[in-house]
Formats: sequence, structure tokens, C-alpha cells
Amino acid sequence: MDCPHCKHHPREGAMAVEVKDLWLSFGEVPILRGVSLHIPAGQLVALIGPNGSGKTTLLRCLLGLQKPDRGTARLFGEADQARALRRVGYVPQRLAMDRSFTISVREFLALRVPETRGWFWQRRARTDEILARQLPDIGVLPLLDRPMSGLSGGQMQRVLIAYSLLGKPELLLLDEPTAGVDLPGEQTFYELIARVHKERRLTVVLVSHDLSMVYKHASWVYALNGVICCEGTPEHVMNAESLRHAYGIHVSPYQHHHHEGHPHGHVH
Amino acid sequence: MDTFTDNPYLIRALAAAALLGPLCALLGVFVTARRMAFFSDTIAHAALAGVALGFLLGFAEPTVPMVLFSLGVALAMFWLKENTELLTDTIMALLLSGSVALGVIILSALKGFRAQLHAYLFGDIQAVSDTELLFAAGMVAVLGCTLFWQLNGLALLTAQEDLAHVSGVRVRWLNYIFVGILTLTVSASIRLLGVMLVTALVVIPPAAARNVSRNLRQQIIGSILTGVGSGLGGVLLSYRLDFPAGPTIVMTAIGIFGLTLAAGRLRGRSAHAPAPQSLARNP
Repeated sequence: MDCPHCKHHPREGAMAVEVKDLWLSFGEVPILRGVSLHIPAGQLVALIGPNGSGKTTLLRCLLGLQKPDRGTARLFGEADQARALRRVGYVPQRLAMDRSFTISVREFLALRVPETRGWFWQRRARTDEILARQLPDIGVLPLLDRPMSGLSGGQMQRVLIAYSLLGKPELLLLDEPTAGVDLPGEQTFYELIARVHKERRLTVVLVSHDLSMVYKHASWVYALNGVICCEGTPEHVMNAESLRHAYGIHVSPYQHHHHEGHPHGHVH
Repeated sequence: MDTFTDNPYLIRALAAAALLGPLCALLGVFVTARRMAFFSDTIAHAALAGVALGFLLGFAEPTVPMVLFSLGVALAMFWLKENTELLTDTIMALLLSGSVALGVIILSALKGFRAQLHAYLFGDIQAVSDTELLFAAGMVAVLGCTLFWQLNGLALLTAQEDLAHVSGVRVRWLNYIFVGILTLTVSASIRLLGVMLVTALVVIPPAAARNVSRNLRQQIIGSILTGVGSGLGGVLLSYRLDFPAGPTIVMTAIGIFGLTLAAGRLRGRSAHAPAPQSLARNP
């Protein structure tokens, strides 16, 4: 089960994420089979693995969106999940905003800032002034008037990052953030994440399919396939043998009983 | 306007329309964006069975059994969704037609309730009593305030439930509140428009506002104005032309929808032309 070459993450300093022996099945299909990991604060960690390996499910357990059958998933060592979530920013996989919902980028971002929660009654200039002061410099200001449902994939991800940063998080969780973003957009996006991570000393946990981006930006990588098959620096995990270990051996039985999304969804 | 103030029926009808129209319209902004129009329709039709059961049990005024039965159907919908493999559409169609069938069977077995059946199917705004009006006013105040108080939570819930959860919204709780408010509002508005047409008051105003609004605030305000306008306009028109009130309210709302559709198209066309210039102005 364990990769023989794996180094474990040094257990030093405060932990942002601690997962202990996490088990979860959807009906008869086991998704997580005893996952344990710990992520020290301040890291940019990537979680990779094939479709159906439980990456998204693990993230959902961390966020309290899914109850595990067994084991614990804790943020900042906090037993009270609702309290822990106040220190977390989350960027979902894709936000398909219904076109009949007219919310603008300004209104959406205003939902995250205490001083602009009264946006409905507030003068627009006032909301803008507050937002402009708090918004990170990631190019969403020109989008404020746009409807959320009219944004491109890349713009949407940018707005979602801005939204989560407005909550002043210590930990940023991103679930396949570049699904639906074109290639140049993807590159800029990862550079943005790396920049934010550095500037704000944020802990970042990134679920990703894109190995080259992970290689370039992550400080630590976990390869998941029901269990943690391999962990270490990108150089270590991405060498051919470890990858085969992660993707090769366990892949076939799970792709067929796949739950979230279609295993062939990436073939266009 | 002749004997305007001499007609207490008309006054009460106008007051009822002015109260419930905007509440339905405000709620409708979220109902339509969350694709719950059919849900609202199911709740409305469930009320018919509630009314029939109320008469069967000897209620002279079957409002309480009506609301309770609608709430029961809403709960049944949640339960079936979570505990079966059936699609939501299927569940709703099943509950909707089941409620109508049950209601009609009971009402026809009861004899002498044929007029009542018609009133509940198509509304009977003339029958609104002072007590009902008072009740409606209280309800509109409480539910309207609750909706505005929970506006941010509802907006997040509509955008994405997971994001709402992580942002601290108690998703499950707010969903129940929302369905509760929807059930109460729809059942209260059945007096006005009847089971068949009540969903129009939830769906058409936000759709009309959608045609001309660029953000959520504009849509909410536009929807509320459309709700008031079609309620008051419909009642007055029906009085002038001697049409049934409920259908006239709906036709007025549809008229406003047509106008905003045209206005939106015209504005869209003119807005397209200067777009490059406005882009050039921004550095």
C-alpha cells in the first residue's frame, strides 16, 4: 500500500489539515479507505489522483459537506467545524450560474464582506469603495458590473478566488479550479494562486489533474487512490514509478463504479 | 372612477392584491433562479386536496387544513427525493396530480361544493374577508421581513449550496425556511388567483424584471413593482371590464412581461453599438 520510496511530511509547526483514518463508501463502492494525512500551515499542497480516487470526496469531508463513515478530518485542530470554516476559503470545481439569476459580480462579492452585507440598501459607490479597498489585486475590479452568469471560465475562477480572499482565510481549498478554463487562462490562474500563497502566507490545498502545473508550483504532493499511495516533493511523486504506483495499479476497478461525473468526461 | 370607495369588495380586493402580489414577486426571484417554479405549482395544487379535506372534516373556513396539507406535500417531496431514485420532476408530477384527483373526488362526493371548487380553482377575490385581509397583512410583514433579513443567505444558496455552507450559511435550515415561506405565500394567494393560476404571480414578475435588469437589486425591485402593478391593475381592469379577477391579474402581468421584453430587446440593440467606445475609455 505504501510507496517504498515515500518520505512523510515532517510534522512540524501548526497543522492546517489533519486527516486520520478516513473511510467513506457510497453504497457498495468504497471511495476513501483509510486516508490519513497532515498538512502544516503555510504549504502549497497538491492532491492528485485518477478519476474516482476520492480527491473531491476528501475535500468535501474537510469542509463538512460529506460525513465520513469513520475517522476524522479536522482543520486547524478545531473540533467545531463551523468555527474552523470561518478561517477557510473554498473555490468550487465549477460554478454554473443559472442565467435567470441576475446577481452581478459586485453583489456576489459584497456577500462576503461584513461592511457590504447591506448591499441591497447601500449606495453603489459606497459598496464599490469598500470592495476596492479590500479586494486583492487580481483584476476583478473591471468585472464588477458584469452578471455572474455571463463570465467566462477564467473570469469566474478569478471572481471565486477574490470572493474567498475577501473572507481573509488562512487556508484556501481549491477543487479542480481550472476545469473549464482554457490553457493560457490555466497558467495565469496557477501563477495567481502561487502569488497569493506567497504574499499572504496562505496554506493552499489544491485538487488537480494538471500534473505539470502541480510540478511547477506545489511544495508537497499527495497521490490519492482510495488511500494515500504516495507523498513527497513534486520531484519525488512525479517520477514514473510513483505515478504508476498511484494511477496504474488501482485505477481500473474504480473507474467503472464511478460516482461523481463520468470517467470519460475529459475526452472532448 | 365612480363608486370607488363605496365598494368594500373592491377595496379589499385591491388591498389583498397589493399585499400578496409583491410578496409572491420577491419570493419568485429566488424560486425562478432555483428552478422551483414547478415545485411552487405542486404546492398550489396540493392546497386543493387540503381544502377538500377541510370541508370533509367540517371546517367552514379550510385555510388551516389547506396550509397543513401543502406543507405535508412539501415534506413528502423532500422525503421521496432523498429516499427514492425518482427524478424530482416525476415526484412533483405524481404529487400534483394525486392532490388534484383527491381534491376533486372529495369535493364532488360532498355535494353542494361545486361553486367552492370553482372558487378554489380560479380564485375568488370578492370573497376576501376583513379577517383574511388582516391575516394576509401580518403574514406579508413577517415573511417579507424574513426574506429581506435572509437575502444574503438566499443569494448564496442560489449561487451554490456548497459555497453557501462554507461561507457560514446554515443551508438545510434556510432551505426549510424558504420552502415554508413559499408554502404559506402560495396558499394565502390561492384566494386571489386560484390553484390553477397562483404560480403565475410567482413566476411572471421576476421574469418580466429579468428582461430589463442588469443585477439582482434591479431584478428584485422590478419584480416587486411588477407584482404590485399587475395585482392592482388586474383588479381594477377586471372591475371595469367585468372580467374574472384572477385571470385578469395574470393577463396584466403577462402584458407587463411583453413590454419589458420589448424594452429589453430595444435597449440591448442600442447598447451593442457604443460598446467598443466604452471599452476604449477604460485604460
